[in-house]
Amino acid sequence: MSRFNPYEENGGSILAIAGQDFSVIAGDTRQSLNYSIQTRYAQKVFPLTSSAVLAVNGFAADGKNFVKRVKQRLERRMFPFYVYNILAGIEEDGTGAVYSFDPVGSYEREACRGAGAAQSLLQPFLDNQIYFKNQTLAPGAEPFVPGRLPLSTVLSLVVDAFSSATERHIEVGDGLEMYVVMAPGRSADDLTAEEAQQAKEWPSELTVEEMESLGDEQEEGKAFRVFRLSRPLKRD
Amino acid sequence: MNGGSVVAMIGKDCVAIASDLRLGSQAVGLASNFEKVFPVNDKLFIGLSGLATDTYTLRESLRFRVNMYRMKEEREITPETFTHLVSSTLYEKRFGPYFIEPVVAGLPDATPLNPNPKPFISTMDTIGCITTPKDFAVAGTATDKLYGVAEGLWEPDLEPEDLFETISQTILNAMDRDALSGWGAVVHVISKDKVVTRYLRGRMD
Repeated sequence: MSRFNPYEENGGSILAIAGQDFSVIAGDTRQSLNYSIQTRYAQKVFPLTSSAVLAVNGFAADGKNFVKRVKQRLERRMFPFYVYNILAGIEEDGTGAVYSFDPVGSYEREACRGAGAAQSLLQPFLDNQIYFKNQTLAPGAEPFVPGRLPLSTVLSLVVDAFSSATERHIEVGDGLEMYVVMAPGRSADDLTAEEAQQAKEWPSELTVEEMESLGDEQEEGKAFRVFRLSRPLKRD
Repeated sequence: MNGGSVVAMIGKDCVAIASDLRLGSQAVGLASNFEKVFPVNDKLFIGLSGLATDTYTLRESLRFRVNMYRMKEEREITPETFTHLVSSTLYEKRFGPYFIEPVVAGLPDATPLNPNPKPFISTMDTIGCITTPKDFAVAGTATDKLYGVAEGLWEPDLEPEDLFETISQTILNAMDRDALSGWGAVVHVISKDKVVTRYLRGRMD
């Protein structure tokens, strides 16, 4: 007799990186069960407030419900939602922030985090490229500081990380959806300007759109700005 | 199992192969000088990750078979032929296999039949099913981590020095996220006229 199992594992991966005055949070859009693809577009990244975006990965049904109910705040310890969360946004001091959570609510603020089916593929790559692990400073070079990379570099790292995961993990692919949250007063030129998008580093096939604000504290020039970026990933 | 990982990469007229140096028993580390990559001849190496006792057994049985080949044929074995030799050695134990996933890396000599040989790598599963990748091959307890980093860092036609940096960063960063691999690494870069072997210091935790 097999016991009833209330949880499923729906694959996919999420990842977030904090910058000086922005943060980037991303997830792929494939939703699968065992070897079958349920849909090639299921959202895993959800704008919550004007300055915070949540990515949810694990059991998709719990994830959907969690996002619905997180706005009402709740506590669940004995029968947790089977989801890993990453929250990205702007801290009150204007710095980019990433918080990662486990299913029962333990959390930590970090410069970057990968989670989900391809966590083991994503995280060592981020250790190397974001935390500069195992890299030594060239003589006279600027010291490495995690969480200070320019937006363009962060974007191409996110795209590379997901392209790599797509290549080697069957549960990751179809599409990539990213949200960029910018601190109030920060110029968005490095994301929206023609010049930025023509640069060599700019990822191919990337579409950028600005989101409508979710908050009400939006004074002119003091507003957080949120952008939705999307790009196809391999579908095989 | 004893833990450990091996990775091999193709470059421009060169190949590299690397392994970690840990030997463990479950979570306990036993030695930090356990190399898993062995020379077969001047330009051919094999990495044997998996059960440590089988690493030695297989190394010795392959050494015997390569020596027999060398005496009978009066020439060095090519990477392709060696891969098939490893494969059949593994398949002999089809129903009680060696717990080893081998990685082969070599630079074939030019011959009249094959004047422009390409750098060669291959991997097998525990019973000898061969794959011959065009980019890189990984094996061991950090397999998925190695795939993640290698897929992000590797690019075609790397020169020997750049290939060394790429394979070193790949194994170091993959190792640091794997509890059963680590404690330093060894890297061999095989190019036309020389083999460069370097020992990497890594995190010792």
